[in-house]
Amino acid sequence: MSKKIVQIDYVNEGDSIAMKPSGELVMTNADNYDLKQMPITKDTKSITLDMENVERYDTFMLAFIYRVETMCKEKEIKFEMIGVNTDMQSYLDLLMPKDEAEPEKEEKGSKFVLKVENLGNKIKTNLTDIHGFVEYFGILTTKMLKLFVKPLSMRWEDFPSQMFRSGVMALPITILIVFLIGLITGYQGATQLKRFGADMFIADLIGISITRELSPLMVAILVAGRSGSAFAAEIGSMKVTDEINAMTSMGYDKYEFLVLPRVLAVVLSMPFIVMICNVVGLFGGLIAAISTLDVTVISYINRLEMSLTYGDIASGLIKSLFFGFVIAAIGCYKGLKVEGGADSVGRMTTSSVVASVFMIILSDAIFTFIFQAIGI
Amino acid sequence: MEDDFIIEAQNITVRYGELTVLEDVNFKIRRGEIFVIVGGSGCGKSTLLRQLIGLEVPTEGQILIEGENLSEASQDDSSSIMKKFGILFQSNGLFASMTIGENVKLALDSNTSLDEETADRIIDIKLNSVGLINYKNFYPSEISGGMQKRAALARAMALDPDILFFDEPSSGLDPLTASALDKLIIELNAGLNTTMVIITHDLASILTISHRVLMLDKSVKGVITEGKPEELLNMKENELVYNFFNRIPMEG
Repeated sequence: MSKKIVQIDYVNEGDSIAMKPSGELVMTNADNYDLKQMPITKDTKSITLDMENVERYDTFMLAFIYRVETMCKEKEIKFEMIGVNTDMQSYLDLLMPKDEAEPEKEEKGSKFVLKVENLGNKIKTNLTDIHGFVEYFGILTTKMLKLFVKPLSMRWEDFPSQMFRSGVMALPITILIVFLIGLITGYQGATQLKRFGADMFIADLIGISITRELSPLMVAILVAGRSGSAFAAEIGSMKVTDEINAMTSMGYDKYEFLVLPRVLAVVLSMPFIVMICNVVGLFGGLIAAISTLDVTVISYINRLEMSLTYGDIASGLIKSLFFGFVIAAIGCYKGLKVEGGADSVGRMTTSSVVASVFMIILSDAIFTFIFQAIGI
Repeated sequence: MEDDFIIEAQNITVRYGELTVLEDVNFKIRRGEIFVIVGGSGCGKSTLLRQLIGLEVPTEGQILIEGENLSEASQDDSSSIMKKFGILFQSNGLFASMTIGENVKLALDSNTSLDEETADRIIDIKLNSVGLINYKNFYPSEISGGMQKRAALARAMALDPDILFFDEPSSGLDPLTASALDKLIIELNAGLNTTMVIITHDLASILTISHRVLMLDKSVKGVITEGKPEELLNMKENELVYNFFNRIPMEG
């Protein structure tokens, strides 16, 4: 079956134009017409749209009529439509918008006022966010302290599975990354140390950088990407599907039911992951050391024993506890902030990772100053 | 005109592994008709809908849309057949990250080469036809459930489909909003002669809008009756049908 296209004939009759579309005035033929081809001159006083030869039509016909009519209004040309049969008239009556109501969401005011208004709204949103987070943080801290008095207030059933998911399951990737970081740091350091004949200090370099900074930091960033985002997405989806409302209506506290098990699981699993990663990172450094420098396994270990202090290891572990709290608290907070649908879940999940990584780096800097000040 | 069938389901059987959901289902839908498919939970209504709209291919049998076999069509052919459909999903399926206007525009963009101004006008026409002209710039989350249904209907109608499929259109709506949606369906069917295929449980809706009803039941894994709604309402000779339409719980 050959497709009929729309054809528009124009007949000039003095100062008026007769416009005669024929064929199928349908959406799929939209690229066959161009109103700019209409032979309008400054002398044109009227346009008559003759619909008699239109064989088939759809909503496109209404848009077509509207555009011709609008063009006539703009150019102050009289518009008339003829040749409309009964069926076509019923179709037009049913679908043609009767009156142009003002859009309710239309923004009013000058550009300057709008900019100020937008700025104000942004500040208000940010302040509300900060207020919301401080409030959340306060409630969470209170609930955690309450655990010391009433340990059974938390839903412990979820705790082992959360610990497994955010702790044990995170081990392979964290181990691999910290091993590679140890290896890279070792190779980079070895090149520099070799120039000064300070080969043996490779153990100091690796030991301190891995235990104090690199291991806790890398583990925290990876856990933020794995568990923090998962918490935000999981709790966010539960919010979208009213599971949290159902939980609240049954008398459960969302903090005790959802947030605390996740926060505790991450907080408690972080030091263990960091400890394992410390060993692996030092091993990575060892491989770099023995393969590029004149260092033996025994001398590397002996040097590590001499250079590493309990303070170095403790500072990394203390930081990891705090990082764990930040990651889980932010992940759950962002999940609880989800409103609307799937897009909000996506936005909050992304936001949880960005906020967690930022807070990890910021708190790491603060910890460095504090440890420096107290001599750890 | 009476025999101008737009959809023909011929010997449809659907199996998932060992489980047979539908067996040898046959029916025809006339052009311009409001055809309602009803049945108890688990009778295969949604399965049948998925076959009709080409989301799944029946294990046996064929679906003819205006004489074209949807079940055996190539990817390109089935896409072109599916352009004749508009579908209103049970949960609306509106894209939450887009405004109502953008949702309608998406359907136009993917299938036509309309210029911006014309497309914009068509969006206005579609939204006007469902009474949402003032909500073009609203996001789905900013409007009520009934309005979301109407917005989804505007999107389903964007390309002026020959057939509109509705999956439980009144689910989650209050009786008044559901009734308003029924009225809109009747108006659009009468005004545009669009064939409407509706899956619903809502008895009030069935009796108000349907021209013909097909009832499925899981006991026979297929059709137990077909007819006008008032016939089915008084079909005392068939206990299953009579009880369903008169809301009488089955014993046992």
